[in-house]
Amino acid sequence: MPDPNRTGDRTAAQRQADHDGLARLSETLVPALVSKLNASGLGELEVREGDWRIRLRRPAGVAQGGRRAERPRLGLHLPVVAAPGSGATTAHAPTAQGVAPAAAAPEPRREVATSPAVGVFRPGAPVGTRVRAGDRIAIVDLLGIPQDVVAPIDGIVTEVLAQGGDAVEYGEEVAVVEAEPEKPAAGNASAADAGPAGREA
Amino acid sequence: MVSRVLIANRGEIALRVLRACRTVGMEAVVAYSEADRASLPAMLADEAICIGPADARRSYLSAPAIISAALVTGCDSIHPGYGFLSEDDAFADAVRAHGLTFIGPPANVLERFASKEETRRLLAAHGLPTIPGSGLLLDEAQALEEAARVGYPVLVKPSAGGGGKGMRMVRSPRELAAVLPICRSEAKAGFGDDSLYLERWLEDNRHVEVQVAVDRFGHGVHLWERDCSVQRRHQKILEESPSPAMTPAGRRELAERAIKAVVAAGYENIGTLEFLVDNDGNAYFIEINCRVQVEHPLTEMLTGIDLVALQLRIASGEPLGFTQADVPQRGHAIEFRINAEDPAHEFRPGAGKIERLNIPGGPGVRFDSHAYTGYDVPPYYDSLLGKLIVWGPTREAAIARGRAALAELVVEGVVTNTAIHRAILSSQPFLDGKFTTNLLDRVGAAAFLAGAERAR
Repeated sequence: MPDPNRTGDRTAAQRQADHDGLARLSETLVPALVSKLNASGLGELEVREGDWRIRLRRPAGVAQGGRRAERPRLGLHLPVVAAPGSGATTAHAPTAQGVAPAAAAPEPRREVATSPAVGVFRPGAPVGTRVRAGDRIAIVDLLGIPQDVVAPIDGIVTEVLAQGGDAVEYGEEVAVVEAEPEKPAAGNASAADAGPAGREA
Repeated sequence: MVSRVLIANRGEIALRVLRACRTVGMEAVVAYSEADRASLPAMLADEAICIGPADARRSYLSAPAIISAALVTGCDSIHPGYGFLSEDDAFADAVRAHGLTFIGPPANVLERFASKEETRRLLAAHGLPTIPGSGLLLDEAQALEEAARVGYPVLVKPSAGGGGKGMRMVRSPRELAAVLPICRSEAKAGFGDDSLYLERWLEDNRHVEVQVAVDRFGHGVHLWERDCSVQRRHQKILEESPSPAMTPAGRRELAERAIKAVVAAGYENIGTLEFLVDNDGNAYFIEINCRVQVEHPLTEMLTGIDLVALQLRIASGEPLGFTQADVPQRGHAIEFRINAEDPAHEFRPGAGKIERLNIPGGPGVRFDSHAYTGYDVPPYYDSLLGKLIVWGPTREAAIARGRAALAELVVEGVVTNTAIHRAILSSQPFLDGKFTTNLLDRVGAAAFLAGAERAR
């Protein structure tokens, strides 16, 4: 009986060589190339070495930022190693508008702000900024027309997921706002609604 | 030069364009709405970008969203598919103004052919016979006057757009007055332009259209004709080529006049000239479609020419690279539009998950579709699920392959209109090659289906 742990006729030495190659690729080569690509302003970088070929590419002119909702993939795709920051996915469905407040929990409520348009991200409120629901916290440049990224809830900007100049798509998660710890017994179930309504008056 | 294309459409045509881009070596980015994230074109694309919500006005009909998506993904061109913004000259102009290539006729050409009413006059001046009709309708009183001059029955048509939206046939002044506001609002909603005009209605007519291709240097060829006479409420259901209504000499003459007229009128890229053909074989020009059409695969089956690839190459500035003598018309082809519609309930459109899909195959069988087992058909867009195209050396052979392929096609979970296709293939007028555009509406689709059921 053949050893089920053996893959084909490859020797242990060959497999070890591949493992070493992969390890070197992911730990040394790719990070180095990514930083080179970032520093260069180039759109594409390709390196060949022995049997390996690595190609890094970013959309012309703009890097992609933020977190995009997962797009199912099918078929054989080109062996393109994506630019940094891209491809990061999240299990969350895109939360275009405010979501019902989470049940009372010890953890503070967190909501993501999403891009209102496909365009170029321009940061506004930096991490640490105190915002109210509906405040503009960044903009997305849609052919020169600024589109507001608004805070989904009252709180503090705890993360900005995209960088200035990044290409963002519609619904892409670009920032996180965390509610500040509530004062005990405040009973403000309608806190999220109070912000915009208050300003309207 | 075009090397990276943003595909600004959805469904089967987005997939068709993606395939063409890959075969000619152009990169493609699929622009999709939130409702189409799990659609086949978005999943098969190497790169895809979400441009807006399900509402087409904020995604597939949003010129800023589409142009912005093209720019941030580094595309140099935009393919509009059909419908949506495909024949919008203002959009084509905005695309050009942002340094991008519009895959289709240039904006100034689109503008020249934007008004159906003016196009009729332009092509009539270049030798095409046209059907008697009116100028643009101003108000009810003037519309009634024009209708009296043209002669009832008349067809009310939107000057912009196509696809049968906003069109109504009326037989009396009273009917005309009743449908005018309906047509206006449908035209406004469908194409953002509520201008209407009238055409005399030919009672028994056939819809025959000529495919043309003209490069930037004014070299043009026709790619023969297609017959789209099987319609329900001005919506094409089944198309075939060649047209059984035309003689070999008649089809050659019509095609040659068509290409001569559009070249003289300065057309560019691929396009389709639609004609009505009366019982005596006289053809009248009615309109031009400045885009790729749903039924374009028929022409591809008969000529062996990839029309979408040709469209990409022409937009890229390449010459045609072939002449009229290189465009054969081999055999016979039929296309069945597979729609998510229930023929038993007035063709009510449906949506929902496709639980099982079996795609027909075999020699001469082609299925262009974005559907797959597990695909959730969204309720927001048109009901076209796919196109079954069959080819045979003769019309009889194509019909036989059509029957076999329709029997193989299985779509479970969503009701489709395949019953109407089976009924058409067994109806005597179709078998005799005498189907007219008004037949289904005159008989009534339900009665037509019941008749086919009895005849079995």
